[in-house]
Amino acid sequence: MRLVKAILLRLLFGVFSLLFISFVTFVAGEFSPGDPATILAGEKASLETVQQIRHNIGLDRPWPERYARYVGHAVQGDFGVSYYSTHEPVRDILKRTTPMTMKLASQAIVLAAAIGIFFGTIAAVYQRKIADKAILTITTLGVTTPNFVLAPLLVYIFCSRLDVLPLTWATTLVAPEFYYFILPVTILAARPAALITRLTRASMIDTLDQEFIRTATAKGVPRGRLLFRHALRNAILPVITTIGTSFGFLLTGSFVLERYFLMPGLGSTVIEAIQQIDMPVVQAGVLVTGAMFIFLNLIVDILLPILDPRIRESQI
Amino acid sequence: MKRGGEYKKDPLFLFGMGFLAILLVLAIFGPSIRSAIVKPPNQPNFYSVYDPVAGPHLEPGGKYILGTDEQGRDVLSRLAAGARVSLTVGLIVEVIALTVGVIVGVLGVFAPKWISMILMRFTDGMFAFPDILLAVLIIGTMPPAKEGGLIMKLLPVIVALSVTSWPSVARLVKGQVATLKDREFVIGAKASGASTFYLVTRHILPQLTGILLAVSMIDIAGTILAESTLSFLGIGVQPPEASWGSMINSARQDLGSHPVALVWPCLILSLTVISLNFVGDGLRAAFDPKAK
Repeated sequence: MRLVKAILLRLLFGVFSLLFISFVTFVAGEFSPGDPATILAGEKASLETVQQIRHNIGLDRPWPERYARYVGHAVQGDFGVSYYSTHEPVRDILKRTTPMTMKLASQAIVLAAAIGIFFGTIAAVYQRKIADKAILTITTLGVTTPNFVLAPLLVYIFCSRLDVLPLTWATTLVAPEFYYFILPVTILAARPAALITRLTRASMIDTLDQEFIRTATAKGVPRGRLLFRHALRNAILPVITTIGTSFGFLLTGSFVLERYFLMPGLGSTVIEAIQQIDMPVVQAGVLVTGAMFIFLNLIVDILLPILDPRIRESQI
Repeated sequence: MKRGGEYKKDPLFLFGMGFLAILLVLAIFGPSIRSAIVKPPNQPNFYSVYDPVAGPHLEPGGKYILGTDEQGRDVLSRLAAGARVSLTVGLIVEVIALTVGVIVGVLGVFAPKWISMILMRFTDGMFAFPDILLAVLIIGTMPPAKEGGLIMKLLPVIVALSVTSWPSVARLVKGQVATLKDREFVIGAKASGASTFYLVTRHILPQLTGILLAVSMIDIAGTILAESTLSFLGIGVQPPEASWGSMINSARQDLGSHPVALVWPCLILSLTVISLNFVGDGLRAAFDPKAK
């Protein structure tokens, strides 16, 4: 019962977060330079036409009404049309670009989790030995090196020198799509992999110190089974939370890499939209990214008490 | 503060301090160093200075110590200008973040329950949000100024990063104040009739200066990284103004033919971030007995 209540509370907070971010994007639209009606009417439109359009899209209404309308439309997936000369519906732009970003971020998080959990466990088992120190040093580099520094480095090695990977996305791909994702996904995964490694290590060290592990060792449980069945299952829980939050930062991290590798994803579209002061696209891009982020953390928060009875007990 | 002096012997801390000192000198005196060496042809604006005589992509050495970039501009002075931008943004944003964060954090403990509830929920919401995303939205509403001083040109970036960086400070301050509030010396002062304002400003906040200083270093590193990221994306510091991020962006386009051009901005950015982290870690070890 308490679990249900906690989940409902969490859902409520998720809805509030969504309203908050929709309000923030709405306010940003209000303060953005340029008048939507004038832009939509085109340069040569008469004053009457502009007035007519202003009335049609409801710009002459008070702001609470406009906000309600904005949310109502957004829920139905209607984000208006791009200010850019094509006047393409923003919904179509999102449909075209979001899958690329999702693909980048989800592949990166899977890679990061695999690397992080594996090396974190190794570092914890060989605590204070050379392997541990080497892993910790590399994670420090991984956390402090921004991805736009790592990107040219790897591009130089694998594209310019070795010439084994394609450099940038192109409309006609010469190699299977997979090859184009290798570099961006690896670079994107670097930072979360480092964070997950550190966290797994700390969590594993804590767990390995506990009595049930000692009991299992004394009982003669084989080492591999002890590590992966007994210890890791307990140590993994805080890691799952980090995977959830990291995913949100991967979505924004992909902004940089899409731009670097000229991949037509949500990130590069939003950045272009900012440079062209194309506010509906910026708003919708931020709203969609934010919503994905909120949704993911929601899933993690609901998943945790189900996975871990201890958290279930401590829920109010 | 038993171990107060210990960090002075920490080699990583010393390395960080040393590099930051060099960076500061470069940022402040960069223009004069350059004009002493190169003698710019009547260029009032150091940030866009470029020597028409110098060719693009000159090798390092000679008059241009680190060579020239794709437009024939001296790389060293561009780096110095970038240092000035990064440090300016980092410091201003940190001052704003500290001010707002301390106020919100203290109110989160001492304000009436319903106010602190709203404030802390709001902080949590902001904290959970990817900072670049919010910064992107704010910059979208503020087209960069083409004229005015350096601060005016940096205004959109400063506003965007200030908005995203105070929540972590607020959270830290709230946690610290909440524990300090129940310590004996505070209860004692309260019993002898001190007002809440006096308690906070004279007894509680002075206890926090050390840890806040340490955290500031790490936060400034984060801000400098975020500024470089935005500039790399082309929505931060606008050309001809130099930023390490935009230098990386323009150098990567000639990666195949002139890979060296990319080394300098990447190196200086990474060293700055790492140095700030070393200094922050050193300070934290000195001021926070719980940290290892």
